[in-house]
Amino acid sequence: MSFSENIRLAFQSLRANPLRSILILVGMAVGIAAVLHVVVLGELTQKKINDRLQKMGSNVLRIRPGFSWRHGMRTGEKRVNLTWEDSDEIVSQSEAIIQTVPIYSGSGDVSFQDKNWSTQITGVTPAYQNVNNDYPAQGRFFNMQELSERARVAIVGATVYEKLFENKLALGKTIFIKSKPFLIIGILEAKGESWSNPDDQVFVPITTAQERIFGVDHLSSILAQMRSETDYDEALFDIESILRRNHRLSKEAKNDFRVRRQDFFLATIQATNQELARFITVIALVSLLVGGIGIANVMLISVTERIREIGIRRAIGARKFHILFQFLTESMMLGFFGGILGVGGGIVFNHFYIDAGGILPWSWIYYSFGICAGIGIFAGIYPAFRAANMNVIDALRHE
Amino acid sequence: MPPLIQMQNVGKTYQTGEVKVEALAGIDLEIQKNEYVAIMGPSGSGKSTLMNILGCLDMPSTGRYFLGNEDIRDLSDNQLSEIRSRKIGFVFQAFNLLPRVSALQNIALPLLYLGFSPKVREGMAAEALEHVGLGDRKQHKPNELSGGQRQRVAIARALVTRPDLILADEPTGNLDSKTGEEIMALIRDLHTQGNTVIMVTHESYIAAHAARIIRLKDGKIESDLYSNAR
Repeated sequence: MSFSENIRLAFQSLRANPLRSILILVGMAVGIAAVLHVVVLGELTQKKINDRLQKMGSNVLRIRPGFSWRHGMRTGEKRVNLTWEDSDEIVSQSEAIIQTVPIYSGSGDVSFQDKNWSTQITGVTPAYQNVNNDYPAQGRFFNMQELSERARVAIVGATVYEKLFENKLALGKTIFIKSKPFLIIGILEAKGESWSNPDDQVFVPITTAQERIFGVDHLSSILAQMRSETDYDEALFDIESILRRNHRLSKEAKNDFRVRRQDFFLATIQATNQELARFITVIALVSLLVGGIGIANVMLISVTERIREIGIRRAIGARKFHILFQFLTESMMLGFFGGILGVGGGIVFNHFYIDAGGILPWSWIYYSFGICAGIGIFAGIYPAFRAANMNVIDALRHE
Repeated sequence: MPPLIQMQNVGKTYQTGEVKVEALAGIDLEIQKNEYVAIMGPSGSGKSTLMNILGCLDMPSTGRYFLGNEDIRDLSDNQLSEIRSRKIGFVFQAFNLLPRVSALQNIALPLLYLGFSPKVREGMAAEALEHVGLGDRKQHKPNELSGGQRQRVAIARALVTRPDLILADEPTGNLDSKTGEEIMALIRDLHTQGNTVIMVTHESYIAAHAARIIRLKDGKIESDLYSNAR
């Protein structure tokens, strides 16, 4: 008896109980659709994270002021203790650090003609673009001369560009930052959201930010680029000793600054995502398991209902494995068709993510069929085994 | 030429819980090719058990059973299955047709397990259906046929592999007497055409169709008589 005949036979029996077969298919389908959903989500977030990591470079440290403490409680008060000297000395005295960018960042309104937008105004040095791999899509970044001249030039992030200019011509136009006119010389590429929106920013020379916009002389953070990722320990040690010395901290005092890898928050997102994916995977596996149990259950019922048929087949010459295959084929088909339904569902799910770049990998479509057929076969083993090993005489007499 | 069937001191004991039931207690029996034998006896006499063993559905607990040249005791479950499909045709009291498939497919079923191609199966099954006079009922399902027609389909299924032996277990038990006579006539024809037929019945007038009547009582052969009726 050939495989295709087995399949035809299985069809025949499954058709005899269409509603039951369909219900059990759906159970299977929900499971596999859930699995595919997880796969799409996982691929999608991983892709986003990889894109960001590639842009950002993982060899950048961000130094911020430490928290203020009062009576052992953290207060919201900002410390103002990072200086240009800190930034310069770190790069000149540590061999592990090849570049630093002093940053002053504050919020403020920007406006163009009748449009207003409240955003983050970030003062940096020209080195910022190299350190962050963040180059203008149009125009240019400001140069050293503009930095020393405290020039009123601005590079706008993609969100600001969209809000103020609706993506129309902006280079060479004048915007007002906190009521002061600035010339737009560059527009940055959109980077996409992560925790904060890096596109919702306007970059100006830090000298301009400190003196002309905010009227401060401290820094809100320092970016430090390491020679390589592996220099982390050395870099951290150097930064700590330089800053502790500059800030005149006693031996017992806590650091009044914090150092964090720039990619740290991405790693956190990634970890959260993985946690979530694991959670959904477990749910998906449970629904697959339930689907499998459903198939096993239906097959057991089916075997019980067809004891007589099994007896007849055996009496007129079916071998045990004929019966075994007959039932295994049926359960495999249940799984397989559940798989088809589930993959259909998965493709529909995927559709919702296509705009975000979601792709259901082909390999997973194949896997799904394999998994479903496998579950079907596995679920059918016991019922089929029971059918095959039934006592022929008892089965024939069964009413 | 050796006998088709040879039983030597065949016994069968069933264990049901604590109780041991001796269904057959030493049967010696020889049946030649092309005999027509009826096995009779009251219920509990062991005739069903004997039938099951003859049909290779069950194994004797003691003694030996040769079917043709083969000692049944030596055969595996697969070999027994093959013997059932190749050498034995069963006709049951309850017809035992598969309800969901057509007459033709029912008849072709033993051929399926013997590995014939669909085309060959269909041809042979159609021929067998023709043989029992139901050539125009190929696509009918069992529930669309009368009792007599169902038993004819069952007989066609038993014939289709051209077996050495046809085993009929109360073949008229579920039929009215007129239809029963028709079935008996059909079985008689099969015998006339050279088939070996063994039939279990408790009706004397049915048994009277056979040339040889074996009566069982308490698991033993009580009498083994050749009738002169035909």
